[in-house]
Amino acid sequence: VTVPVARRQLFAEPAKLIVTLVAVAAAVALVLLLAGLRRGMGEQVTLYVDHQAPVLVGQQGARNFLSQTSVLPDALIRDIERVPGVAEATPINQEYAMLRLHERPVLALLIGYDPGKPGGPWKLASGRAPSGSAELVLDRVLASEHSLEIGSTLEYRGARLRIVGLSSGTSGFMTPLAFASRTTVSALSRRPGTANFIFVRSDRGVTPAALATRIDRAVPGISALTRREVAANDRRQFVDPFSGPLFAMVALAFAVAVLVIGLAVYSSTAERSREYATLKALGLGGRALYRLVGIQAAGLALTGTGLGFLLALAAARGVSVFAPKYLIAISAGSVAAVAASALAMAVVAALLPSHFLARLDPASAFRR
Amino acid sequence: MTARMSVPLARRQLLFRKGRTLAGIAGISAALLLVLALNAIFAGINDRLTAYIDGSGADVIVAQRGVDTMHMTQSALPEQTATAVVAVPGVAGAKPILYVPAMIERGEKRGIVYLIGDDSGGAPLPLSAGRRPDAGEIVLERSLAERLGATPGSSVRVFGQSFRVSGEVEGLASILNSVAFVRRQELARVLGIGGVVSYVLVRARPEVRAAELAARIETSVPGVTASTREAFARSERRVVGDMTTDIVRAMILVGFVIGVAVAGLVAYSATLSQLRDYAVLRALGLRARRAHALATAQVGATVVAGFLLALAFVWVLAAILPSLSPTLVLAIRTGDVAQALSVAAAVTLAAAAFPVLRVARIDPASVFRR
Repeated sequence: VTVPVARRQLFAEPAKLIVTLVAVAAAVALVLLLAGLRRGMGEQVTLYVDHQAPVLVGQQGARNFLSQTSVLPDALIRDIERVPGVAEATPINQEYAMLRLHERPVLALLIGYDPGKPGGPWKLASGRAPSGSAELVLDRVLASEHSLEIGSTLEYRGARLRIVGLSSGTSGFMTPLAFASRTTVSALSRRPGTANFIFVRSDRGVTPAALATRIDRAVPGISALTRREVAANDRRQFVDPFSGPLFAMVALAFAVAVLVIGLAVYSSTAERSREYATLKALGLGGRALYRLVGIQAAGLALTGTGLGFLLALAAARGVSVFAPKYLIAISAGSVAAVAASALAMAVVAALLPSHFLARLDPASAFRR
Repeated sequence: MTARMSVPLARRQLLFRKGRTLAGIAGISAALLLVLALNAIFAGINDRLTAYIDGSGADVIVAQRGVDTMHMTQSALPEQTATAVVAVPGVAGAKPILYVPAMIERGEKRGIVYLIGDDSGGAPLPLSAGRRPDAGEIVLERSLAERLGATPGSSVRVFGQSFRVSGEVEGLASILNSVAFVRRQELARVLGIGGVVSYVLVRARPEVRAAELAARIETSVPGVTASTREAFARSERRVVGDMTTDIVRAMILVGFVIGVAVAGLVAYSATLSQLRDYAVLRALGLRARRAHALATAQVGATVVAGFLLALAFVWVLAAILPSLSPTLVLAIRTGDVAQALSVAAAVTLAAAAFPVLRVARIDPASVFRR
């Protein structure tokens, strides 16, 4: 006859079990959501570059697409097109646009492109692409957050821009996209006849890295990089500063989870000292007692982690529906790391009552 | 004459199992730390965000129409704007600057800065080392200079050009970016954008109020927005504030849930192990309401201790972090502390429900059984 002692002890106080699992699940969900937010930020930051040609040309010294000034005379486009292996060179103007919506500053990344050429919105939810000056395509999520629709106008840097289309798949926590003609954007910046970057498409059989090197050598005063390099630099630039604080939060959440499991197992062990003393008096060895505690800790850690994973998935889904500008990208890697952490939690939490069990006198079972 | 005796029940019950109480305090403090630390980090970023404006000596900042921020912002004004501003009555001085994001490189090390083209080399901001930049020279923020290993006299590259480091400024960098100064005309030449400036920093005559001067400039000079330094800084802070509001709210919610769970767990466990004590007290005549108050007081004391511990920890972090990482500045604001305190109060109320419900079911007669 076997008695499932660990399970019975866990289920003896269902309310306490639920509270413990909720606390562990909340801590685990927090870890997953923070890691997902960091990853999502990285993906959103490179949203525009990821949809463009594989080589990017900027002013000499350019390493990033975002957060770095680059001014190129339009005349360079011809020079680049003459480089062997170049299929197409597309100039774009780009700037952060601090829009003022509902009396609050709202940041967007404004892209100026030549209508009919690459560089514009890749998916329109409604309306049309900008064709004339002072026309704007705005990210659909940003527009809906501020009750803007096709035909609405907004003021930016003293100009009135009319929304002619809404783009989808162009949302971002820090960098939702807006598109206008290059003429419009360069006029706002008072830099006519210049581009900020030139995206280059290669001929078949020419790798982006080889083409970037070729352009770098052939055209003076520029820096040519592959899209992958630029995206990695942008991600590093935007996401790395948040890594320290995010890591601290994750560490804190992990500590809370360990504490909660430890607390639950320790208090239940302490409360059942009489039961454990009886088991000891009946001949249950120290190792078996530790296993009993370990099973309870592991059960709480794994179940809490599973619930936390489901909670994080539900929260990520909720965020994508109710706050689509945030992307929470929960990766298999972070789930695996959390699962491994759950086992670590169980080990640490099970160690807490071990000292108590070691000191427990079997004879105490016969006292009152 | 009757002698009144009182027994500090809540304190004794809390101290009966010190380990559990301490673990509970630690857990609650961790949950509240999430709220406090995140707010302090964002407040620190905000302070550094306006450090340049705050120390620029400008009473009014003139920008392209519709622009009242610098961070992640574009502003382009004709160079003649500075001359037009100087002519406005009440202006003591007007300094045009170029303000562009740039990458500074030294070997394989890189850092993003807001590069400010300023013919005064960043004056009146004090230099912590070296001197103002001449042609071909640059002043770096100290934390970036240290990260790049660029001491005064060494060289860095910006926009493919080499600049010699002439000096350092301090206290302008955040975890997001840094600041550097070069001569304005030189920056315009490197970028090939002659005839354009980004902002004009205006000093008012002593007898003129900044708000009045800003209004005068907007009326007299077409195509510009003139903001007082305070209004401009407020607008800058709003940018980061708006971007981070949702994240802070989410963290508060998570902190609340974890706090309730930890405090509830501790209180519930404590109540379970003291059920017999409660039964005795009830049998001795303790009313149910007093018993509930006793359970709530224990939760409240644990949460308050957790809150104080979290506050002390953030305080220590704020003191030591800048020496470990000069750009990671934590600023503790009264409003943020009040917010964490209100979360703590909510945690107390929610967590107290667990033991209160259990105490409510106690039968005083149970103490006479067994």
